[in-house]
Amino acid sequence: MKVSVNWIKEYLDFELPPIGELVVKIGAQLGAVEEVIDLGVKYKGVVVAKVVSCEKHPNADKLHVCLIDDGGVVQDVTRNEQGLIQVVCGAPNVREGLLVAWIPPKAVVPSTYDTSDPFMLEARELRGVVSNGMLASGKELAINEDHNGILEIDVEAQPGQAFAEVYKLNDYIIDIENKMFTHRPDCFGQLGVAREIAGILGHKFTSPDWYLQPLKDVVEKSSETLPLEVRNEIPELVPRFMAVAMSGVEVKPSPIWIQSYLSRVGIRPINNVVDITNYIMMLTAQPLHAYDYDKVKAIDGGDTATLVVRKPHKGEKLTLLSGKEVEPREDAILIASATKPIGLGGVMGGADTEVDENTKNIILECANFDMYSIRRTSMAHGLFTDAVTRFNKGQSPLQNDKITAKAMQLFGELADAKQASEIIDKVSLEGNESSLSENTVHNPFSMEPKFINERIGLSLNEDEIIKLLTAVEFTAYDTEGAIHIKAPFWRTDIKIPEDVVEEVGRLYGYDKLPQELPKRITAPTQRNTLLETKAKIRNVLSRAGANEALTYSFVHGDLLEKMGQSKDLAFQLSNALSPDLQYYRLSLTPSLLEKVHPNIKAGYTDGFGLFEFGKAHIVGESDPDEPELPQEAHRLSFVYAANKGIGAAYYTARKYLTYLFNVCNVEDLIFEPLVSAGVLNDPWIEQLVAPYDPERSVLLRDEEDYIWGVLGEFKPAVRKKLKLPELTAGFELDPLLFVRRQKQVTYIPLPKFPKVMQDITLRVTADISHAKLLKLVTEYLYGNRPQHTKLDVVTKDIYQKEDDKQHKHVTFGITIVSYKKTMRDEEVTMLLDGLAEQLGSAISAIRL
Amino acid sequence: MSYQNPKVAEVADVLKRRFAELENKADILKAVELKALYAEIPTLPPEQRASFGKEINSLKQELQELVAKHQEQAEALPPIDVTAPFDVNTPIDKRPKLLPTEHGSKHPLTTEIERITDIFYRMGFEVVESREIDDEYHMFTALNFPAGHPARDDYDTFMTVQKDKNDHPLVAPAHTSTMQHRVLKAYKERLEKGEPIAIVTPDRVFRNEDLDATHEHTFHQIEGIYVDKGVHAGMLIATLKTYLNEYFGENLEVKLQPFYFPFTEPSFELAVERPAILRKDDSEEQKWLELLGCGMIHPNVLKMAGIDPEVYTGFAWGQGIERMVMMKNGIEDIRHFQSGKLEFLRQFV
Repeated sequence: MKVSVNWIKEYLDFELPPIGELVVKIGAQLGAVEEVIDLGVKYKGVVVAKVVSCEKHPNADKLHVCLIDDGGVVQDVTRNEQGLIQVVCGAPNVREGLLVAWIPPKAVVPSTYDTSDPFMLEARELRGVVSNGMLASGKELAINEDHNGILEIDVEAQPGQAFAEVYKLNDYIIDIENKMFTHRPDCFGQLGVAREIAGILGHKFTSPDWYLQPLKDVVEKSSETLPLEVRNEIPELVPRFMAVAMSGVEVKPSPIWIQSYLSRVGIRPINNVVDITNYIMMLTAQPLHAYDYDKVKAIDGGDTATLVVRKPHKGEKLTLLSGKEVEPREDAILIASATKPIGLGGVMGGADTEVDENTKNIILECANFDMYSIRRTSMAHGLFTDAVTRFNKGQSPLQNDKITAKAMQLFGELADAKQASEIIDKVSLEGNESSLSENTVHNPFSMEPKFINERIGLSLNEDEIIKLLTAVEFTAYDTEGAIHIKAPFWRTDIKIPEDVVEEVGRLYGYDKLPQELPKRITAPTQRNTLLETKAKIRNVLSRAGANEALTYSFVHGDLLEKMGQSKDLAFQLSNALSPDLQYYRLSLTPSLLEKVHPNIKAGYTDGFGLFEFGKAHIVGESDPDEPELPQEAHRLSFVYAANKGIGAAYYTARKYLTYLFNVCNVEDLIFEPLVSAGVLNDPWIEQLVAPYDPERSVLLRDEEDYIWGVLGEFKPAVRKKLKLPELTAGFELDPLLFVRRQKQVTYIPLPKFPKVMQDITLRVTADISHAKLLKLVTEYLYGNRPQHTKLDVVTKDIYQKEDDKQHKHVTFGITIVSYKKTMRDEEVTMLLDGLAEQLGSAISAIRL
Repeated sequence: MSYQNPKVAEVADVLKRRFAELENKADILKAVELKALYAEIPTLPPEQRASFGKEINSLKQELQELVAKHQEQAEALPPIDVTAPFDVNTPIDKRPKLLPTEHGSKHPLTTEIERITDIFYRMGFEVVESREIDDEYHMFTALNFPAGHPARDDYDTFMTVQKDKNDHPLVAPAHTSTMQHRVLKAYKERLEKGEPIAIVTPDRVFRNEDLDATHEHTFHQIEGIYVDKGVHAGMLIATLKTYLNEYFGENLEVKLQPFYFPFTEPSFELAVERPAILRKDDSEEQKWLELLGCGMIHPNVLKMAGIDPEVYTGFAWGQGIERMVMMKNGIEDIRHFQSGKLEFLRQFV
């Protein structure tokens, strides 16, 4: 929102502080300032001059040689004996007696001031005649787009006067971020900002009379009436719609002061009719639209111009002022004649009924539209106009009558227009036709200062609060301990008492609030064990050389398919940015696997481990705590990959997992081969294990048969599709495992006697799983060991001879120690002999 | 397979012999001889074309099968015993090892979140994580977004094809504020016993926004709420200032700018004095760092959670994580965070 300091000054009756101070104040109490532009510097050196004489250029048909009077103020310029200065001018409208803007030598052309290449004038010859600087066009002065002639000063001015002074161009433009005013429709007009600035500077603001009460009889009534009919078929979306026909319009450029105000707040001047509607909009935040009356009438071919406010019919099209043709969205607010669309209400007018230089009669529309509908239409069609910016904040329906009257007055004054119809006012609040009342926008409040003070930490009394609020034209007065408060009609944002608290706090100044920490109680803050566990795992895995990654929660449907997962079970976005991000993940592993190949390609070939914490979702699986929502399964996923190495990657992933279990003091789980796990029949597990190779993976199960996750290598198809190296393996599990299965420390007293260590190597058939073998070994040893001993078994080696793949040799290291005595080797030898015998008969094991 | 057409049979013979020697077996499918056969079809009399074409197709299929079979063989890894702690035939010194510690790293975003939550934990705030899929009620209604509010459209918020029980799409939360209602309800009892509600919620959030170097559709936020009797806006400022001073390790001024959020009233944007080390120059622009949105919790938000706004008041704030981490480390592209690139990750040891 661009604010012109000079424009708002017209509504203020006190001196503003220096610009720097003002901007800080605005930032703290109104909204963040994006930019402050010093407009005055652009016009440095440009002065008012009078064309004293104007002769045809001797050597050029289209040029004139002028002598101008600058009041003698410009230094270092060649003058004739009368003190006049010679300037060559090519404009067709240059003539004796004109008051013009003269850019003398050494001054910069204002329109080039902010460009990369500012153009500084000098005295130079044009076809043999010296021109001292130039007479400027509206375009060169950055006031309008007119470059067909020089700008003719249309107000009282003296030669030698700084040009900027004439049109108040010694101005600052303060650009306040629009989003600060999301709930402040009034602040999208200079008037609203002027009021706020008065309020935060502690001055009482008074709106101009015409904004508080509609002006009456401000424009001449035409003897001939122009028939106009308005129908509002969608009162629920259009609470108020005012229209009036005006005749005898003379379309011409508007006065320079209007053009100048518009251009400095970012609006291109067009002609007096359009400029008046824009001027009113920039001043009050109420958008207006002018239709060519005769064009509207001609569409229907009758004697009456009709405006119908309705929704579009199927297939209806409309060409907008911008030239773009649209098929308005189904629920758009359409303005139509009796037969045809003529405008996208509140967004943009139609080209067919545009005001042009031949327009004689107009219809002025001043409406109030549903803010959400305007925003949707704007988004649906990609139309972001100044009207949209204002309507989508929710303008007050109580201002239309005042603004219509003010606009009519300006049309009378600046376009010679006469009122040619009744002022039609269709009011329908909350969808019902009803008359507007003072309380249409809001009801009054009665509140104690305590309510306000408690919420902002102050101790303001009634008078102080009343003073703050009345400064911005609230009605506020003391009624025995409580303050009666009513917001003015333009403040559609004030709905509840807390809104008044905000208003008081802001006007008072948040920087003056007492800063005070809340009092704490001594009860200990509860920990979040899951987060603490995650933090610990992060530390452990990163210390073990792995890298924590984050990947998107959304994946491509193709990735799910490549993994053998079911797309149907994945939540799907209806408005995904791209197919890459269309589905919520069914598990995390696929996302990490996708990162393997790019990293290998980037040169990380020696092996790396990626891990991530995240969540998985499955359609149809409800959250146990909130059954109406999908369950969110916490997951930890880890993937190891290397381009070369010996042995299977499975064991590296497994190494990481057992390391993690050990360091985090988690009870061991059963590593159950996936291939023999049977039908799982649980969508979570099915989706989780989908990419894992059943021959080379295990389920992580506890004694109660609860499955915590999966560990293993990936199916050949998955490896191929994602270009994974052979040495790729990973695991994915529920990190709650680490919370729920924390081991109790079980201390074993330290024996005083020496340990005996012996190895035993057994040759068994290759098809006996290690788990089974280990179980047989430990069961036997624990069952047959001498009393009062401590016993440990570790797998020390597994070996297969090149020429005998039918068997494997497994070496176990046995450590045994007694609490009562020094153990003899023979005792251990006996125990191991027994073991060998037992396994020999049970599984035909041979001791080596 | 034998081919009727002598030409096809000849090519088949040549190609099969070549296949045995090829290093990249798939190249056989690109053989010029095969292409030449296809090129011949249009030159034949029409009545011969069909049978000739069929023959070439069978040849091509045979070659494809050969390639596929070979790839399967190549990928068949030696069987392993998944119950064993290590592979048979791996010498002791080649057994699986952990990677070198110095290669390990934690993600800079999670490190930052841990750091921030730790500060708040020490200040008496409990930590509750948010959700990745939520419903329209928690995302909008419970946060005082009126029906019809534009934020409810899918322009800003990702929505799912799947619907909730009210036939609204589910949403990918655009802010961690979706947890406010749950937390307020869950802690209401403790509040009424005299314990203030003091919670921070860090998590990932999603916005329907096109990706570029400074915009992500997936990013992280930390949200906080504090509710008790007699909580006022001055406490909000003091609390956030205390946090920021602890975070930056120096005493910095803060300032509030008025703002608008549907779920707070009044609403602010809080800026902190930028620590000298992060300033590019002495300009006013560089002096302040706009860091977080905050405000007094809207009475409707409290009411909807069953907390009486006449008795209790509170404040809430939300802060993005990415921008801070980018600024502190000079990270040039926000997309690196979720790229999984080791070149990026390994810098954050």
